[in-house]
Amino acid sequence: MSLERKKIPTYLGYLATAFLLAFPFVYSRADYDFIMHLWITAFYYAILASSWSLLAGYAGQFSFGHMAFMAIGAYGAALYSNYIRFVTNPTGTCTEIPFFGQYLIILDAQGVTSASNSCLDIARETLPRGTVITQPSVWTGILIGVLLGALFGFLIGRLVLRLRATYLALFTIGFSEILRAAISAEIDITQGQAGLELPPLFPVGIFGYAPTDKLPTYYVMLLVFIASMGIMTWLVNSRFGLFVRSIREDEEAAAALGVNVVKYKVRVFVITSTIAAAAGALQGHYIGIITPNILIILQMSLVIAMAVIGGVENIYAAAIGAIIIQFVLEFLRNSFDIGPFVIDMSIWRLVVFGLILMLTLRFQRNGLIQPLLDWFSRSDVAAETVAIRQQESIGEPGGGEA
Amino acid sequence: MIHLQVNNIFKNFGGLQVLNGVSFEVNGPELIGLIGPNGAGKTTMTNILDGAIKPSSGTVYLNGQRVDPLPPYEVAHAGLGRTFQVTRSFRRMTVLENLYVPAMAMDGSRKQADCVEQAMEVLKFLTIDHLRNEFGRALSGGQQKLLELGRLLMLDPDIIILDEPFAGVHPKLMEIIYQYIYRVNEDGKAIIIISHDMDTIFTLSKRLLVLNYGDLIADGDPEVVKNDPAVIEAYLGHDDEDFADKLVSSNGSEA
Repeated sequence: MSLERKKIPTYLGYLATAFLLAFPFVYSRADYDFIMHLWITAFYYAILASSWSLLAGYAGQFSFGHMAFMAIGAYGAALYSNYIRFVTNPTGTCTEIPFFGQYLIILDAQGVTSASNSCLDIARETLPRGTVITQPSVWTGILIGVLLGALFGFLIGRLVLRLRATYLALFTIGFSEILRAAISAEIDITQGQAGLELPPLFPVGIFGYAPTDKLPTYYVMLLVFIASMGIMTWLVNSRFGLFVRSIREDEEAAAALGVNVVKYKVRVFVITSTIAAAAGALQGHYIGIITPNILIILQMSLVIAMAVIGGVENIYAAAIGAIIIQFVLEFLRNSFDIGPFVIDMSIWRLVVFGLILMLTLRFQRNGLIQPLLDWFSRSDVAAETVAIRQQESIGEPGGGEA
Repeated sequence: MIHLQVNNIFKNFGGLQVLNGVSFEVNGPELIGLIGPNGAGKTTMTNILDGAIKPSSGTVYLNGQRVDPLPPYEVAHAGLGRTFQVTRSFRRMTVLENLYVPAMAMDGSRKQADCVEQAMEVLKFLTIDHLRNEFGRALSGGQQKLLELGRLLMLDPDIIILDEPFAGVHPKLMEIIYQYIYRVNEDGKAIIIISHDMDTIFTLSKRLLVLNYGDLIADGDPEVVKNDPAVIEAYLGHDDEDFADKLVSSNGSEA
């Protein structure tokens, strides 16, 4: 019985996965595109909230810089697709590097309002006939964004090794804000608040779907979500999960018991920032434009709130929390009337959200989803403890004295 | 063969000289008591041996390997384990998971399933096996102390330093800790016990180290040490002829 109960969440997980995999083909109402958009965004937030819960909930590294790594992924991919071209002949005007029989061109930054031509436009007139100019692959850009996320995760992970709790939070806010300020300031390169455009994930469509169709993106985001959950599940159930939790509980004690604290703290930063960067790069290509606002503190707070409401010490609880909050926030947009008063829910929904967060923190510190999962996995522990104790007391007289 | 060699350790925090050229050796499975008044440098010495803090000067060799520049986890791998003065169990991990951490940290190929049997044996010995799936935080103070001792068994070091293992412990628990110390010692491990409880120190240890404000003022047989005028001076602040009797209270452990 108890063994069966422990397996229920796993079965429900498979069921939910099957539902999500089938959803785009079975759902057919008029708001199809809108609902698909909600799901894609929900997956995006679920990836971020669950990876943040691995960093903060399991490893105890309460970072406010998670969205910065997400943005590094997004801007890495965007800068690559905006500034890199492959040309079969040298241009003479651009910065160019021979690259497997072609030339890798780095376009010069144009800014938002510039009327001048890029180096490639100038070179176009002199380039020999038959010269092929290729846009770089979207996927290479995403890969570069992800690698940049990992690299910065490593650097920040090294830098914050000695920082605890509040200091870590302040440091990572600082990092995130510096990045945002830098992106806003370098208008020539990043287009600042005007936003940097990205091509769609499938620029020419795929399997007969147009580039703007939601279905291919839905599956890409869903698969990345499932893959990241799979990797994180494997991690938290392995020695990695055990060690980062021991570090969260007591760093000195873990070290005294042979745990290489530095290695595992840096690893958890690298892994979670890599996942965040992947989510950012994909979402950037999906939305088609990114601005520095994607990493404002409010966005970070939203991800944290999603994880906290779900349950920060469980990647599944955090992911489910993110999906639920994403849908709740959208459906709370529907305004309604109370007698003569119009309740404008597009504003009040955030109040409702804030209240849920406050009530969760005050009355349900483990989140709303995590206790449910715990009920399946741990509810028989107390009974078991008592049973063994009694058994022993009977077995050896006087054994139950202590 | 277990060999710990501590050479001329100095440590100062700012202007405060905490350790003042401390040297001693541990050869084989000794049972050593380390005593000294508050502020004598006992915990600082432990932290230096464990790698948590670096000495201002001096060296520590463990089984021929220099360990003083190493981080704590490498010192643990080299064969030194310790408990903390204030118990530090992993509170939001189960009792079994608490034990898996050192076992798996020491052996990179070991999985949780490989540790269950050993962990259960350790818990049975410490009489807390019924709590195996409870969280560390659910345990009483004494049980958490036992859990810390259990983690050391899983770590399986050559030398164990127990920082105040008897503080706030009731007699029955004390009995278990006594058994623990004897068993670990019989298994061929050296043990250094830091305690203010003179009864237990004199009962357990075969050799006594006395620290006083950074100086190692005595090192030797407990019977000899307790009559050493310098030790008496350090503990009571003045020469007291009856001190040896006061150190060991009336329950007859002085033999």
